[in-house]
Amino acid sequence: MVHKGETVGIVGESGCGKSVTALSVLRLIPDPGKIVGGHIFFKDREVTRMSAEELREFRGNDVAMIFQDPMTSLNPVLRIGFQIKEAMVAHERFDNNAAEERVVPMLKKVRIPAPKDRAKNYPHQFSGGMRQRAMIAMGLSNEPGLLIADEPTTALDVTVQAQIIELLRDLNREMGTAVVLITHNLAVVASLCTRVIVMYAGRIVEQGPTRQIFYNPQHPYTWSLLQSIPRIDSTQHDKLLTISGLPPDLSNPPPGCLFHPRCRFRVDRCSKQEPPLEEVGPGQDARCWVLMKNALAGAESTS
Amino acid sequence: MWQDAWRRLRRNRLALVGMAIVTILILTAIISAFWTPYPVWIQSLGPTYQGPTAKHLFGLDDSGRDILSRLMGGAQVSMIVGVGTATLSSIIGIVLGLLAGFYRGWVDAVVSLLINIFYGLPDLLIVLLIVAVTQQRGLQNIILAISLTAWLGMARLVRGQTLSLREREFVEAARSVGTRDVHLLIRHIFPNALGPIIVQATFVIPAAILFEAFLSYLGFGVKPPTPSWGAMASEGYRSLQFAPHIILIPAAALCLTLMAFNFMGDGLRDALDPRMRR
Amino acid sequence: MSAEGAQVSQAPAYEMALVRVEDVVKHFPIGAGLFGGQVVRAVDGVSFEVRSGETLGLVGESGCGKSTLGRVIAQLQPATSGHVFFKDTDLVSLHGEKLRRMRQQMQMIFQDPYASLNPRMTVGDIIGEPLQNFGISRGKEREKRIHEVMRICGLNPNFIRRYPHEFSGGQRQRIGIARALVLNPTFIVADEPISALDVSIQAQIVNLLEDLQDRFKLTYLFIAHDLSVVRHLSDRVAVMYLGKIVEVADSKEIYLNPLHPYTKALLSSIPIPDPDLEAKREPILLKGEIPSPVNPPTGCRFHTRCPIAQFPKCSEEEPALEDKTPGHRAACHFAGQL
Repeated sequence: MVHKGETVGIVGESGCGKSVTALSVLRLIPDPGKIVGGHIFFKDREVTRMSAEELREFRGNDVAMIFQDPMTSLNPVLRIGFQIKEAMVAHERFDNNAAEERVVPMLKKVRIPAPKDRAKNYPHQFSGGMRQRAMIAMGLSNEPGLLIADEPTTALDVTVQAQIIELLRDLNREMGTAVVLITHNLAVVASLCTRVIVMYAGRIVEQGPTRQIFYNPQHPYTWSLLQSIPRIDSTQHDKLLTISGLPPDLSNPPPGCLFHPRCRFRVDRCSKQEPPLEEVGPGQDARCWVLMKNALAGAESTS
Repeated sequence: MWQDAWRRLRRNRLALVGMAIVTILILTAIISAFWTPYPVWIQSLGPTYQGPTAKHLFGLDDSGRDILSRLMGGAQVSMIVGVGTATLSSIIGIVLGLLAGFYRGWVDAVVSLLINIFYGLPDLLIVLLIVAVTQQRGLQNIILAISLTAWLGMARLVRGQTLSLREREFVEAARSVGTRDVHLLIRHIFPNALGPIIVQATFVIPAAILFEAFLSYLGFGVKPPTPSWGAMASEGYRSLQFAPHIILIPAAALCLTLMAFNFMGDGLRDALDPRMRR
Repeated sequence: MSAEGAQVSQAPAYEMALVRVEDVVKHFPIGAGLFGGQVVRAVDGVSFEVRSGETLGLVGESGCGKSTLGRVIAQLQPATSGHVFFKDTDLVSLHGEKLRRMRQQMQMIFQDPYASLNPRMTVGDIIGEPLQNFGISRGKEREKRIHEVMRICGLNPNFIRRYPHEFSGGQRQRIGIARALVLNPTFIVADEPISALDVSIQAQIVNLLEDLQDRFKLTYLFIAHDLSVVRHLSDRVAVMYLGKIVEVADSKEIYLNPLHPYTKALLSSIPIPDPDLEAKREPILLKGEIPSPVNPPTGCRFHTRCPIAQFPKCSEEEPALEDKTPGHRAACHFAGQL
């Protein structure tokens, strides 16, 4: 669930389903995949039931999405200014002239220097960071309620990443656009998002306010993940805690909790029954029979 | 890798049909080395130009020879020329392609020059020249002659493959563990180019068979009385009006063979296409 | 005693330099033609040493030349000029068979676990190839050694006849590491060995590399863009920008007291998985973009983006990489002033 103007981070590793979830919101799942159950609501409309025409209205207008590699999402033979204008005209919110006027201010908003000149450039003349900004400009040009960013900074250098995250933060504040940030990088989520959803093997295993997830994670996967990331500001040199094994094969999933084969805190019940997502703290849910507060309080962690 | 390819190949009906026909052809070729219904060179087995009968399933030609037997013998010639040319031209093309693509520089310049020269000369001219110069019309000569025109395609292909493969990280990694150049080519580059090489070689076979038939039709192919489909067609041309079977049967055999190899080649290409892998 | 000039840091005498890089330059010509041929100055005069038994981290963003430098040091790319001393031999002067023989002591781990293994070779052949190249052991004995090194790297020896595509990314990286290890090298250049792996697998490989170093007294040149991992793994860190080294120091020191403004900006941009800390931090945002290595800025290469650049000094005079405090080198006229 995403509330108006919120910033939510969806974290998980490759194959956990975070991208697919986001694509589902826009009903962009490529064949042969399809949505087989559940509902998706935007404000009060059911996306899962929208007709093709309604979907076209919906995409780019109410919800916009930006992807990891801006080079493939931008048309290399069209000028940037034109593509941004096109995004607006296609949704008939602005006519050609009005859209044209909005292009340069949009580029300015995403902090592209010399926006007037840059609007005439082609994508290959932009650097990776600038292309990503252009994508954001395109996405926000119709003032959508929600912007989904799928690994927007993974391919970028760390200094450029910091700039893009700053930009997203400022835009969220100024324009009130809700942002869903999908990433495998927990640290980035810590700086941008107010809420975090942790996914594993296609399921949400934990979600809640950012502070609680980072300082008081309840699901062993979240906890282990946090323990295994080296921090630039760490003072001691401890061995990184690792999560043994590999993510499960979803065509042949393990019984019970999908994480239990790799979990150092598992008990008997974990291999028999899959736990439901339940509240474990104020606004925080986790899908676990054991929960970290119990695991750490009582037993020693088995290494 | 090969199992994946085999699985994909099995699903391609046309390719399977092609492979079946090719198999029949090979068997025929082998059998005919030991036995044919009638010896291929015996004349006057019956009235000349006779159409198909129970004794002679495909009839008799203008000299009274059994067409079926000669067809089988022709199959042998075609297969030998086809496979022989494919093998020889591939060896030449692979070696030159690997060297040109790997070492680049002057080696590549020389090989590319050779390719361009040969490409510019008409194949028929080259073959006729060789046949005329050596004054021989044995199978080996024909294979040699055709190979000298067919190696180009393979060389170009392998050169291209080598140029791109040599930049791959696993080749760099092999060099970093002390692998010598010759082993880089043999262990790393060649095996990874094998897919397209096999496909290319498969297509050389029908081209060579057609070429040989063409030569024989013109009278420059194998010496009679060794049967060749091309020669048989040539003999049958004159009697097209009243004994069409003499030209039609070897022509049909040729057609079928070429189609079979082409379907097989197409199927192989699709099956081995790396983009479709996993 | 070898004279190392002004670039010697006051290291304890027993920490011998295993590898010494001196003024290495690597330019790539672009475009054909002898006239007006431009070059990409990927590495433009780099000098440093790697001490025996240490891990030297080499960091920088894309385009800084660190991967190219790694390959030049490992002699997979010829240097345009300069020297790379391994023990006392200048590798740049070696060619052919002599160079090939040196490779037994110096190995490389590659970034892409999918591209760095020959898809047509079995794991056993891949790991055994180095042994075959140098005629070390045969038959049963060779197989024993391959099994041994597989076990050390966390691979099941029973998989020796499997092909790379049957393994996961993390396991393939282990295969690459096993291959690098099998000749018992003393020095390993690791080029972004974990960047292509999932977060939970990265920790496994990092731990493996640490274990191997302890066990076999290896020396690492660890190239990466992820400073957090480099900080964790390295004893000393060198920071590269646009083909030059801008700072070298102990890893603790470089985090606590970065002297070069680029290093400082870099460190401030790295997100920390700690929401409260992040809320307080303000990344130092650099203006502009990384200049093209074809036409690097005059004077100090960083001056076009530097928050404390002063003209004309910074745009005219290139600062030397020298000790600002013992053991801590930086190339900046105003080091420590950001």
